Amino acid sequence: MISLLASELLKVRGRWLPWILSVVLAALLALTIFGPYLSWRGSGTQSLEEFEQQSFVLPWSLAAILDTVHGVGAILLAVVAASFVGTEYGWGTVRSCLIRGQTRPRYLAAKLLGLAVVGLIFLAVAFALGLIFTLVTTRLAERPITLDVPAGPSPAEVPLMFLRTVYAVLPYVLLAFFLAEAFHSTAAAVGGSLIYTFVEGILLAVLGGIGGRAADMRLLFIGHHVNAVLELNRIGVGPIQAGFVLRPRPEAADLLDPAQATLALALYCLFFVGASLWLFQRRDVRS
Amino acid sequence: MPSHGPAPSDVVLRTVGLTKRYGRLLAVADLDLEVRRGQVYGFLGPNGSGKTTTIGMILGILRPNRGHVELFGLDARQHLAAVLRRTGAVMESPSFYPHLSGRANLRIFALLSGGVSRRRIDEVLDLVGLLGRAASKVRTYSMGMRQRLALAAALMHDPELVVLDEPTNGLDPAGMREVRQLIRNLGQMGKAVFVSSHLLHEVEQTCTDVGILKQGRLLAQQPVSELLQRGQALELEVTDAERAMAVLRGLDWVGELTRNDNRLLVQVPPERAVDISRVLAEHGIYLAELRPHHNTLEEFFLEVTGGEEPL
Repeated sequence: MISLLASELLKVRGRWLPWILSVVLAALLALTIFGPYLSWRGSGTQSLEEFEQQSFVLPWSLAAILDTVHGVGAILLAVVAASFVGTEYGWGTVRSCLIRGQTRPRYLAAKLLGLAVVGLIFLAVAFALGLIFTLVTTRLAERPITLDVPAGPSPAEVPLMFLRTVYAVLPYVLLAFFLAEAFHSTAAAVGGSLIYTFVEGILLAVLGGIGGRAADMRLLFIGHHVNAVLELNRIGVGPIQAGFVLRPRPEAADLLDPAQATLALALYCLFFVGASLWLFQRRDVRS
Repeated sequence: MPSHGPAPSDVVLRTVGLTKRYGRLLAVADLDLEVRRGQVYGFLGPNGSGKTTTIGMILGILRPNRGHVELFGLDARQHLAAVLRRTGAVMESPSFYPHLSGRANLRIFALLSGGVSRRRIDEVLDLVGLLGRAASKVRTYSMGMRQRLALAAALMHDPELVVLDEPTNGLDPAGMREVRQLIRNLGQMGKAVFVSSHLLHEVEQTCTDVGILKQGRLLAQQPVSELLQRGQALELEVTDAERAMAVLRGLDWVGELTRNDNRLLVQVPPERAVDISRVLAEHGIYLAELRPHHNTLEEFFLEVTGGEEPL
């Protein structure tokens, strides 16, 4: 499996897509942190205390950074996943790989592992970049660089917050992976993932607004469960959501039990992986 | 249908009742064929006859609707990974990662095949004449260079069975000659080679055995040498073709006669040349030329396919 994983990572070498998407994510992270900071500087009227719970001062900025890492990262990594699978069909290299003596489950597993490595690096670098940005703005705002505020996260909780974010990105990435496998196309997978993400955001807001049985239908959507998981990242953060997020933030009473949401996301992931494997196993690979 | 009684262990590739349908289209029908060690098997057929579909099923990327493939005596479907590691293949229109170099592409395939050293990669690049361009991105390669790279990828793990789908596509005449020589060498090295081609003369020059496919059905399968000797004939140029035809028609040991001006094609064993010469001289008809006629694969192909061109 190690040599298979090495082959997947070698394929990524020299591809521009991950680099371009990294720049996009870095730019949006900069906007997440420096935007409110510059706004505060420019306003000249509001106190920092009114602003600080929004985004750019540590430790409150952590939630904003992770919101952006999730909201934007999920979309960008879905593009990467779609490209990982779809371009192999587009170039016809799936055939070239499968005739080398690898079983289809191993080939698919290597692809998922390769995607996991690239995705983890992508999100970790983005998070680290966000931290660097917020260290700068916290210092510029002449605030102490500390996590030690009332209800603030402990140092051990910060990596956990990041892992929670990564976990919440997974279903969207695997959805794109599944769509690319189903349609043998990058464009169809990217299009399908984006449509799902945007439509989900709208439907969650509409169904939540209607209430009653309609609100219960939100259980069918990935985003409703993601909200419950990511809410745990809001330790010590006020009510305002400052990162780039495409879903409405639910009321506290509307949130699912995090453990139940975590399990639901795992089931989504299993479904997308299982369905991808099922399709890949039983279909012909044509030129 | 083995053509010369092989030991069972010699059979490297066997298809049994292999059938593939695409909806209502029957692409391959009940195909039984065998390829043995040291054999270079030419798989001939017109476009759309099912050659590439057959190769797809052999390599496990297409699923047969019926029948099965055996590679090295094992059911290919059940032991696909193991048998493909002993197989090298060039698919129709070989595909590569265009943003990577030729060498990096081979490294990827080497990682998938297992056990191929960097030195071996350079050896096969040298073998196919691409060592000088090994660091260039594949997107800059011509069709012929991609074909050579595909051959390198197929051979780098020293396979026992080599499956080639139109391996000379896109090559210039010199490249075609080199590839033909390479294929012959592989056979001489004891490897089994299964090569599909639409070029009759290529198969005639390269292959030891031939199978002819039309509309998914195997019409004929036999050694090329037997096929070329079948229906032996003599070509004559005579002083009076009309009288010569009349004389020869009277001989019960002469088969079919064909006339083209003063030239005659007489279906008769070559050892009858002296008898032909004597009989005609007795009738005052003299030979300007007499030589054995060599059958061609093209004649055989046209005969079994009912006159359809391979292309």
